[in-house]
Amino acid sequence: MRRIYRALPGSTPVKVITSIVIVSVALVALHFFYEWVGSSFLDTGGTVG
Amino acid sequence: MTHLADTETSRPEEAPQLPPPSRGYRLIRGMGWTLVWLGVLTLGFVAHQLWITTFFAKQNQAELVAELEDHFESAEITEIPYVPVFAPGEAPEPDDPSIVSGALGNLGTLRSEPPPEDGTAFAEIRIPSLDSLKDGWAVVEGVALGDLKNGAGHMPWTPLPGQPGNSVISGHRTTYGQPFHDLDQLKGGDRIEVETAAGLHVYAVRETHVVAPTAVWVTQPRSGAWLTLTTCNPKFSARERLVVVAELVEGPNAEVILGRI
Repeated sequence: MRRIYRALPGSTPVKVITSIVIVSVALVALHFFYEWVGSSFLDTGGTVG
Repeated sequence: MTHLADTETSRPEEAPQLPPPSRGYRLIRGMGWTLVWLGVLTLGFVAHQLWITTFFAKQNQAELVAELEDHFESAEITEIPYVPVFAPGEAPEPDDPSIVSGALGNLGTLRSEPPPEDGTAFAEIRIPSLDSLKDGWAVVEGVALGDLKNGAGHMPWTPLPGQPGNSVISGHRTTYGQPFHDLDQLKGGDRIEVETAAGLHVYAVRETHVVAPTAVWVTQPRSGAWLTLTTCNPKFSARERLVVVAELVEGPNAEVILGRI
């Protein structure tokens, strides 16, 4: 993680902002992935057909 | 000379050079980190399904309950002639005396409301004997994934609760507020209340089934007025469906539909 952070371009504030953006995008993507997995395999909502 | 020699001997010794990690060591370390991240992602998934979906569903429910109060106040209730619904194979023949005499054309009237728009809350379901539903849960029109994120949805091609036929409501069992979590605890005769703009409709549990997810027969029309609740079964799996079937016993339309008038 530290290596990835250090490899980011720009000054420290730019690195911090870039990290926050990357982590936020990753969390949103993960949220939709979890929703898809949950709705497909764990609990579809119980409808039939 | 002695001084120089002392200086040389007091130099800190250089750290011994470690040999580069072997290929096997790097492989095991990589596998270890992969397993750690898989564990973190799995725990994240469990937390997401159990708590985050419920957090959003409960937030939506708060908005839907407010929407429901407006709907109850503004919905235009009409009296419509009662036209019986028959289960497949139970419809009377054209020469049936009740049809010939015109008796089926004059069976009373029902309180009815206009069909709700997709995705809007139009009813509240309460099951006093279940903790997960004793305080009520708003039901929206539609059973698409987006609709069911609110917890429970009504199949739009089935009649509204309180109307003749078989009204079907589906709901989540373990996620999105898990409104139907304890549906397996219902026993014959247990009371299910569904409040719509037309009034409070009370059903009594009659049947419970565990079926395949493709068992659309559970949504088929039934003679009289019925409510069918469907949810995933077993808990934390979408392998089967738990189906609870209840019959209308009280409410503004019950007397007419049950033929007590």
